[in-house]
Amino acid sequence: MRVILRTKPRKKPFIPIEAETIIPQNFLRKNDVRVYEGNKERRLEEIFYITTEGPAVSPDQVEIVLSGETGNIKRVGEYMNAGRIVVEGDIGMHCGNFMSAGEIVIKGNADAWLGREMRGGTIRCEGNAGHYCAAGYRGEKRGMRGGLVEVMGSAGDFTAEYLCGGEVRIHGDCGDLPGVEMRGGNLTIGGHCHRPCGNMTGGTCMVFGRVHDMLPTFRGAGNEEREYRGQRCQMMLYKGDAANRGKGSLLVKNIEQDGLSPKKK
Amino acid sequence: MSEFLIRNAYVIDPLSGIKGEIMDIAIRNGRIAEEVGSNAEVIDADHCLTLPGGIDSHSHVCGTKVNFGRYMSPEDMRAGRTARKGVMHVTSGYSVPTTFGNSYRYSVMGYTTVLEGAMAPLEARHTHEEFTATPHQDMLANTLFDGNWSIMEAVREKDMKRAAAVVAWTLSAVKGFAIKLTNPGGTEAWGWGEDVHSIQDQVPHFGVTPAEIIQTMIRANELLNLPHSVHLHCNALGVPGNYRTTLDTIDLVPDLNDKRQSLYLTHLQFHSYGGSTWKDISSKSEDIARAVNNKPAVAIDMGQIMFGRTTTMTADGPMEFKLYMLHHNKWSNHDVELETGSGIIPVYYSRKSLVNCVMWAIGIELALLVKDPWRCMLSTDNPNGAPFVKYPEIIALLMSRRFRENEIALLDPRTAHYVPLPAIDRELDWYDIAVMTRAGQAKALGITGIGKGYLAPGAEADIAIYPLKPESLDPSAEYQQVMAGFGKTRYTIKRGRVVARDGDVVVEGANSTIWTRSTVPPGYDLSVDPEFMKKFEQYYTVRMSNYPVQDVYLPRGICIPTEASL
Repeated sequence: MRVILRTKPRKKPFIPIEAETIIPQNFLRKNDVRVYEGNKERRLEEIFYITTEGPAVSPDQVEIVLSGETGNIKRVGEYMNAGRIVVEGDIGMHCGNFMSAGEIVIKGNADAWLGREMRGGTIRCEGNAGHYCAAGYRGEKRGMRGGLVEVMGSAGDFTAEYLCGGEVRIHGDCGDLPGVEMRGGNLTIGGHCHRPCGNMTGGTCMVFGRVHDMLPTFRGAGNEEREYRGQRCQMMLYKGDAANRGKGSLLVKNIEQDGLSPKKK
Repeated sequence: MSEFLIRNAYVIDPLSGIKGEIMDIAIRNGRIAEEVGSNAEVIDADHCLTLPGGIDSHSHVCGTKVNFGRYMSPEDMRAGRTARKGVMHVTSGYSVPTTFGNSYRYSVMGYTTVLEGAMAPLEARHTHEEFTATPHQDMLANTLFDGNWSIMEAVREKDMKRAAAVVAWTLSAVKGFAIKLTNPGGTEAWGWGEDVHSIQDQVPHFGVTPAEIIQTMIRANELLNLPHSVHLHCNALGVPGNYRTTLDTIDLVPDLNDKRQSLYLTHLQFHSYGGSTWKDISSKSEDIARAVNNKPAVAIDMGQIMFGRTTTMTADGPMEFKLYMLHHNKWSNHDVELETGSGIIPVYYSRKSLVNCVMWAIGIELALLVKDPWRCMLSTDNPNGAPFVKYPEIIALLMSRRFRENEIALLDPRTAHYVPLPAIDRELDWYDIAVMTRAGQAKALGITGIGKGYLAPGAEADIAIYPLKPESLDPSAEYQQVMAGFGKTRYTIKRGRVVARDGDVVVEGANSTIWTRSTVPPGYDLSVDPEFMKKFEQYYTVRMSNYPVQDVYLPRGICIPTEASL
């Protein structure tokens, strides 16, 4: 089954929509799906033109396509456990929170907290992601625990904070402090980043671009060869974070101590 | 103004000596009256249990550390969400809910007065702000003096009157209600990375012992004629073998007041452990209960733990650090300048843990073994032992031996070797429960004078009507009904208004904050004392003139004035 949701023009398009109900299992039957626009509860028909094609007997046969002005629709795919969501444009904050299975494809950019604390499944974002991509929420000690988040563009600060399982791939640049408090899982950064992996205790982080302001609490442990997008790269291996008696691995290609952390720029 | 008549109520009102009579209660202008006119609105209680509004004498619901618990636990805030409904705001949180969440849940359980167990004087403004957002309960704030430098200096100089003067100035400055000592001396020692392990240990740099602090403060409290006694969280909380410290502390207490007890020992469950390590921790509730029974000048509350998830928060910084070393999860510690400290840790009490099972048993044992219900209050030290929404379950456990046996069967089988609980037959009755949840508290807190905790004419019309019929209900067998009944009142009436009905809050609340002001002779007025003022100039980050909480923070403050006998 394919459910196409195209946004209707709204009088106040800047009011965000809280749409944690937009997940495949809710569209299996003719359920009354409601979302919030600001503090007003709305039926789905009031916000979207809805087209449904074909049948489905289980949630994993449901595909939801979101198109139109979707940039401030929040919490799409929260607690999703099967099926597929395709976002034709941008998507708002908290997309794919806690999702445990299924797939989310975002053709545009994603706002902050993409795939926060996710447990499984796949998120692919073809544009850029905001801050706290694949991170844990504030006050949470375990962030993303499984699955895959892949961002073709860049990501903001605190990418994969508290990562403890699964895989995060950012093909562009990351902002400040990616992989801080990591305790497991894999983080791959294709571009540049600042001060990665503070307080890391486990897991592996690879940076194929340039690391600005490498933290002094990592111990060099030789060189290793890794492959990224078909190219073999010679990487420097570091172990740390020593300040936290960490046993994580940080592999970097280039380091530049230019003091250009974003705060000082 | 409004008049009400509650008909056919099965009333238990221990302070007025009513032990279960069918009677009518008249309410006029927010107070209980002798009689009302024929136009009064009538509530038919239909022989249901009718008690004075519940009073929680030790709970952590407002203030900076509660707020810190909220924002360090996003998983707790995701639990227990309720949507907006009628006049009710959105609430969220389970062990550290939003202020409205606390207020509504208390109100639905029939509680109308709550004492915040620990308010750091420097952070009093925030506590008072949260009090105003807890609209259905009258609030009181115990004010922390455990590591107060001026107090400890006065104790060292053996100058009891100066200690009393410090208390008088601080209480009226921060609009506090009573003296709270949390691990006296220990929190200050923690500032230097140390702790005190018994009441005879010296506090570093001050040369005083917890015993001296406790004794001086008990006497200073009586010099000021404060309504409540000193409210003490003993030293060595949660340490196996700490029952000796608790017994030593009980030995210190003189009997100085004939209206109430001279010392209130809070969450005693956490202070009644035998053994020497976590592996051989055992219950010493029998020793503690015997000491309490023999010392009429002491009141206690249970500090029961219940299994499940909760958050611990206390001004006892070193204890929270020890807990962190056990759990290795998120934690927080905080130092409050010249006054006190605090710590917060989320915990999970599990039936699979022998230590937790022993703790669970100790709380119940204390309530059953202390013979006089007037001196043993029901509490969970919310949220340290469990969120207060577990009170009905505790009541059912105390009233039904069968329920206890069913629960004990679920525990770690080794528990029975370490605790006397399975051998205790006592089942509390409705009267005991009424004492342990409101009348005992009103007496110990000394707030009967402002009309709290009883239903005689002249009292505040705070009433809880539970859907329980004591005439036909056998709590020992039908404990499920007891639990459900105490969890949801038919009516909760606060100051003559129905505030909650059948589990829903029906009006916007308007609570008051109760505080005390002691008038001291001019020689003891510290607002002009040069040495005291120097403390502020030298050490505090705030000026003395900015320190007192302005009246605007207490929109409906009720001041209990006292005359100090200095």
